[in-house]
Amino acid sequence: MTGSIPTKSWMDVPAVFKPGNYAYPAKAEVIRYLDSQKGVSFPNAREWSPEDDDWKLPENWKEIILQGLADRLDRFRSLKIFMDCCVRCGACADKCHFFLGTGDPKNMPVLRAELLRSVYRQEFTRAGKILGKMVGGREMTVGVLKEWFMYAYQCTECRRCSVFCPYGIDTAEITMMLRELLHMVGVGINWAMEPVSNSNRTGNHMGLTPQAFKGNVEFLCDDIENLTGIRVNPTFNRKGAEVLFITPSADVFAEPGIFTCMGYLLLFEAIGLDYTWSTYASEGGNFGLFTSNEMMKKLNGKMYAEAKRLGVRWILGGECGHMWRVLHQYMDTMNGPADFLEIPRSPLTGTVFEQAASTKMIHISEFTADLIKNNKITLDKSRNAHVVATFHDSCNTSRAMGLLEEPRYILDNVVENWFEMPPNTIREQTFCCGSGTALNTDEIMELRMRSGLPRANAVRYVHEKHGVNTLGCVCAIDRATLTTLMNYWVPEVQVAGLSELVGNALVIDGEQRQDLTEGLRTLV
Amino acid sequence: MEITEALTSKKKEILSLWIERTLDSYTAPGFFKSAKDPFANPVGSNITAGLTALLELLQADADIQAFGKPLDQVVRIRAVQDFTPAQAVAPFLELKWVVKQVFSGDKNMQPLLGKLDALDCRIDQMGLMAFNIYSECREQLYRNRVRELKSGSAILTDAACPSALLRREQRGVAAKIEP
Repeated sequence: MTGSIPTKSWMDVPAVFKPGNYAYPAKAEVIRYLDSQKGVSFPNAREWSPEDDDWKLPENWKEIILQGLADRLDRFRSLKIFMDCCVRCGACADKCHFFLGTGDPKNMPVLRAELLRSVYRQEFTRAGKILGKMVGGREMTVGVLKEWFMYAYQCTECRRCSVFCPYGIDTAEITMMLRELLHMVGVGINWAMEPVSNSNRTGNHMGLTPQAFKGNVEFLCDDIENLTGIRVNPTFNRKGAEVLFITPSADVFAEPGIFTCMGYLLLFEAIGLDYTWSTYASEGGNFGLFTSNEMMKKLNGKMYAEAKRLGVRWILGGECGHMWRVLHQYMDTMNGPADFLEIPRSPLTGTVFEQAASTKMIHISEFTADLIKNNKITLDKSRNAHVVATFHDSCNTSRAMGLLEEPRYILDNVVENWFEMPPNTIREQTFCCGSGTALNTDEIMELRMRSGLPRANAVRYVHEKHGVNTLGCVCAIDRATLTTLMNYWVPEVQVAGLSELVGNALVIDGEQRQDLTEGLRTLV
Repeated sequence: MEITEALTSKKKEILSLWIERTLDSYTAPGFFKSAKDPFANPVGSNITAGLTALLELLQADADIQAFGKPLDQVVRIRAVQDFTPAQAVAPFLELKWVVKQVFSGDKNMQPLLGKLDALDCRIDQMGLMAFNIYSECREQLYRNRVRELKSGSAILTDAACPSALLRREQRGVAAKIEP
């Protein structure tokens, strides 16, 4: 009555595509445009559907895939090691939020990697060439390719599994390779490729023109003036500013990110920071990370090119997740070191951020925590009286950059009450929002809700135990996707960026603040 | 022996079989059955807790409204997993089979097998309520989709890039001017 336990080997269970379990393929025009761009390659653009038997793959698709894999094994030593060193101990098996939410064994990181590893064994190891299936090898078929597409897009590259792997296998990098290989035969998803295309062309995911971008920020300045009586006048593309500020474009245009953005604007006004926005490097996010190495490099390079053009000293980054993973794990080898910039030094406190000696870019939480520590801003916690918070560590800021204490220190100083979720769901062990790596699209809502269950389950616990009503975070994808996740699982909880809570609590000279019962969200 | 008394004395066996069969509906149920940490195993622990609470409410002959929370705890999860609507709510109706299975294995309880009508009726009520909750969950899913679309995040993919449009338009104008 309730279903059945499968009796087949995992290799014999085909991937079945149906509405709700796959993200829409990339539009052919988007792929064509990207393929025409320098430094990147996205061939085989076409209209196709995952539900069709025929994916209209190029005739020599198998050759392309195997050659692509050979190239990557040669170029990336890490991939070669990850292919060889897994001992199938199972430590990762029950750590993935997709497995925990679906119970699908192919979502165990070890098995997801095995989808690629089985082909690697068959084609690239002597034992596999001779013994095939007996040593876990299998032939590359269209069925295998479809399975890759299914499961490479049921991994958010959150790297929780890697925390538990005794060999340190980074399953996210295996997913990245799977996605790269699929792109070689024109198989990708629109929610990744269109933002990439927009970023490549106009500088941000939304495709906002410089005028629209500037207009949106100015809108927020008007709101800030209505709420606090403070007129903020940010500058754009100003040469010679000390600092270039870059944040995800969602912060300047979509709720609840705009409240976080208002927090940044107020903070910079309060301390008189000499900074500028760029309407060209107008996106912190880098969906290239979810697409291909070359694309990631190009989008990351844009931020540095703009910093150079404007002649700033260093870069301050807003609340974003994967921007920081790109920065900390890949930027230096791709585009670094950024020798034309200076090591970030807070003009207010004199603190030199040595950890950014090479990238020359620091996170807003590092910057804000330092201001608080040195008593450079005045905060009134009672202005967040409506908030009982908890903190969600973004996968990327926690596991890829070790940003664990600064956000907590900020929370200590801006809200009266906040409570941690259980230890195995926070810090390095944090659970993903379930919608990262360009999976935040609405057509896979069910998938997102089940993969986000482990996160939501921990939020529900602190909501029921402590009355938590606000989930604080430092990532733009989190702000958008956790809001939806909470609506389904714990509707009593809203989602807020930490800089919004800072903005709420900030006391600024000359302010004429209205009675803001819901902070910067108050409708006046 | 009365039904409620029998349910109490066989609570452990009934629950164990009920939970086992429910979790067997997943492709790889081993972890869901064995891991006890509620945060490491949200599916297994929520389903276990929900079914346990439901059986206790049946034993206590509680008001049907009290079933809402534990039903939600189970159905909300199954409503977004890879089940048909029938499979998602099937575990609640399966309790009838589970109770009969356990009672028939005990001589003292076999006489009760013919007197289960009232319990079956309660279980049907519970199953129907689960169906209501299932529908609410699905509606919530679609409301979430609509909300995301309306919030503007769809602009990410569903709107053409303004500068590209502008360029295309300029090209069009240029083409018209040139003979």
